[in-house]
Amino acid sequence: MSETPPTKRLDHRLPERFLPIVNYDLCRVCRRCVNDCSYQALEFRESKVVASGGCVACGRCIAICPANCIEIRPVPPQFAPHGNWSERSRRSILAQASSGGVLLSSCGADDEHPAIFDDLLLDAAQVTNPSIDPLREPVETVTYLGRRPGRLEVCDGKVMVREDDTPLIRMDMPLMFGHISLGSISYNAQQALFMAAKELNIVAGSGEGGLHPDFYQYADHICSEVASGRFGIKPEYLKEVAAVEIKIGQGAKPGHGGHLPGEKVTTMISETRMIPRGTDALSPYPHHDIYSIEDLAQLISVLKESTEYRLPVGVKIAAVHNVGAIASGIVRAGADFLTVDGFKGGTGAAPRVIRDHAGLPVEVAIAAVDRRLTQEGLRNRVTVCAGGGIRSSADMIKALALGADVVMVSTSAMVAMGCRVCQQCHRGLCSWGIATQRDDLTSRLDPNVAAARIVRLFRAWNEELKEVLGAMGIDAVESLVGNRDRLRYRGPNPKIAEVMNVKHIGEGWG
Amino acid sequence: MNDRKDREVRTDRLGMPVQAENYTASRPPGWQGQLGGCGIASCISLKGGRIDGDRIARMLTIMEERENGLGAGYACYGLFPERRDQYCLQFFFDDEEGKQAVEDFLDGRLDILHDEKVFLRERSTISPPYPLVWRYFANVPHAREWRGTRDLGEEDYLVELVQHINERVPKAFCVSSGKDMAVFKGNGYSYEIADLYDLGRYSGTMWLSHSRFPTNSPAWWAGAHPLSLLDWGVCHNGEITSYGVNRKLVEMNGYKCTVLTDTEVVTYLWDLLVRRNGLPTEVAAFVMAPSTFQEISLLPPAERRLAEWLRITYKEAFLNGPFSIIVGRSQPDISLIALADRKKLRPMIAGLSPNEEVAYCASEESAIRIVEPDARTWAPGAGNPFIAVAGKGIVRRGTEPSFQGVSL
Ligand code: SF4
Ligand code: SF4
Repeated sequence: MSETPPTKRLDHRLPERFLPIVNYDLCRVCRRCVNDCSYQALEFRESKVVASGGCVACGRCIAICPANCIEIRPVPPQFAPHGNWSERSRRSILAQASSGGVLLSSCGADDEHPAIFDDLLLDAAQVTNPSIDPLREPVETVTYLGRRPGRLEVCDGKVMVREDDTPLIRMDMPLMFGHISLGSISYNAQQALFMAAKELNIVAGSGEGGLHPDFYQYADHICSEVASGRFGIKPEYLKEVAAVEIKIGQGAKPGHGGHLPGEKVTTMISETRMIPRGTDALSPYPHHDIYSIEDLAQLISVLKESTEYRLPVGVKIAAVHNVGAIASGIVRAGADFLTVDGFKGGTGAAPRVIRDHAGLPVEVAIAAVDRRLTQEGLRNRVTVCAGGGIRSSADMIKALALGADVVMVSTSAMVAMGCRVCQQCHRGLCSWGIATQRDDLTSRLDPNVAAARIVRLFRAWNEELKEVLGAMGIDAVESLVGNRDRLRYRGPNPKIAEVMNVKHIGEGWG
Repeated sequence: MNDRKDREVRTDRLGMPVQAENYTASRPPGWQGQLGGCGIASCISLKGGRIDGDRIARMLTIMEERENGLGAGYACYGLFPERRDQYCLQFFFDDEEGKQAVEDFLDGRLDILHDEKVFLRERSTISPPYPLVWRYFANVPHAREWRGTRDLGEEDYLVELVQHINERVPKAFCVSSGKDMAVFKGNGYSYEIADLYDLGRYSGTMWLSHSRFPTNSPAWWAGAHPLSLLDWGVCHNGEITSYGVNRKLVEMNGYKCTVLTDTEVVTYLWDLLVRRNGLPTEVAAFVMAPSTFQEISLLPPAERRLAEWLRITYKEAFLNGPFSIIVGRSQPDISLIALADRKKLRPMIAGLSPNEEVAYCASEESAIRIVEPDARTWAPGAGNPFIAVAGKGIVRRGTEPSFQGVSL
């Protein structure tokens, strides 16, 4: 090929998406915003703070400004309107034509499909059964995680409870923190999660990045993740924790493994993950010792053997279209608990094409798993955990009613710490000190303060759960799990109600 | 044929029209279950003597505020001393066709020893159609095969047959299928049903009864209480808010929900927990109305462990929401169980005659006083079962600490 003559380089710079606006009447020129903007979207020029481009709307400057004089304005559409060629699609093409790479993003799928949760309405008790006031009467939210025996043996009129029955984890609420690895988030952020889990008496996932020596003090509230990269796995990591979970998949990127860019692999991360410093930590897409359900059964047995049957061993999968049958195979392979991570689940880095286009919404996945396990007579053997896009106590309550025993939350816990869901986690520049390994940024997050905020949030959710249970005339959360009778669908597509086995609004009984 | 227009509109105590469509054996189209309040009453002769049907009818009828004429029923235990060891299958048929279909189905599957029409007298106040009520006494044959499973237990086999008929055989519904017992129920006020079956002609060791105050749903004879499977009979006042969860457990264990009410599920739960899983009666009661984890944590260690594992293992059998139930059994002994939910949101009172020969339980004290003015009465606690067994007496008053008497 002959060399093409140099042409004038066409700059495909994309228009800004957000514009920071400073009210100069109020600005005290303290420059804190300039210092705090890790995206360098603000600069100090000619005695003024001005926008320098690249604002991601992380909201840090707004929070830090003592004069309360910064506003982040979304830039109105800059492209000629077109119903099919949305601005989003044209931006993607332009970016990809410049980079030639796979487009990365973070957080959950950000498309505008409304969550099915928003199409579900809860029931309440009136006259024929009384509602219960949780401030005056007990309403229980204690939840156990692990394998259940299905029935107890009876010998000569004596009900046998065996001392060596599989252990269950007792939690104060039907909630767990999902797996967010050290590496994808900072030391301080992970410590805050663990502290909060301990305080709330629930379980937090370790993520696939191993466990920092300092965090073994929270081991009773940690579920260790065994992912395809096997990072950081050593005897204590399996033996000293509350539970072990094999990660097959993640809702944000079904079929993919974890990806931690080398820039985030600092000395601390390299020691915890047991990998060389500065190398990309790429987990293989499948576990290379699990190509089938029998292989999974073997790994479950190995983990149970090596933990002397003292811990529940679970399996986490991304919600995919055949999730019911897969769940049944996992239970039959010996998993004590099963976690289903839905389409809108979060991530620290994922190819956009997968994040936005692959998987199954968690609402449908829960209903499918619950139904399939019930049909096969397995539902009362296993604990079903589910998450992926749980934004509120209402989502949590609906997930329980659809059939989850335990609801997994991650993004909402991060938002409680300060995250504004700016979707830049993969860049490692998180201005809130959460999704970053830069010491100057990490030090912005005080684990004590962050933990207290998380605790307050989920205590409040649990109170709201009790309020709703009471209103439904239910005084213990287990009587809500899978109780789809207490839900109605009001969305645009009754077929969804049908596959979820939820009645349509207006359909009563009796 | 009567012309519908000419029929008098049926009204309740306050003059509101209550009559909906009337169905006998076949399930009304679009039937989604029923809800509402109810009255329940029961009596048992502790020495195994006989109590006549008029007595239970008086107990039930006095609680007139608890019914609106859309269903009442009775179950009698110790009813057939001569045929004590035979199963008595009692059916509602819409017509002869339903009867023929059931007889064809049972042919070769059960050894029918005797069958008879159950006495029913027309009442001007109950509008037709009436079901044809028929009773078969049968033994279960030695060779028992159902859908490829051989050597099913006698009772499991019978459960399969009965559920098959109720689900699949048109125009027929098996309303009771236990030994030494039968159910008499229908669409009407308690006194009407008593009169319809002429209960005075029967006497037995134990009676259960139920009247209902449903909302204005179609009246279905077979859907009235008591609901029964094998010798289990259940009368239920309440609305189970955990129905969807409980139903899942019974369906997971092969039961088919055909009546679509919480009472049906409660009946299957008793069968599952006590007959199939072998739990002692009071333990099954604690499963259905468990203590809170807070209360459990205060129990002595062995009891605490048992209570905790019962609750974890059988969480789908926990009946949430308001209920009081009366449960009867004829096997191995005629027994009466009364249980209210763990907050006791529906009433239940127990009583004992001055000569200590007859025990009672009912929604209201009036039901006991009308037949036994000097009875000693007490209120069993929330989630605390009252249990009386013919020949043994009152085994549990329902006021003891939980787990007392349970072997650990
Ligand atoms: S701190 Fe965040 S919101 Fe403020 S200018 Fe920088 S990127 Fe934009
Ligand atoms: S963790 Fe940080 S980078 Fe990621 S979305 Fe939240 S604020 Fe943005």
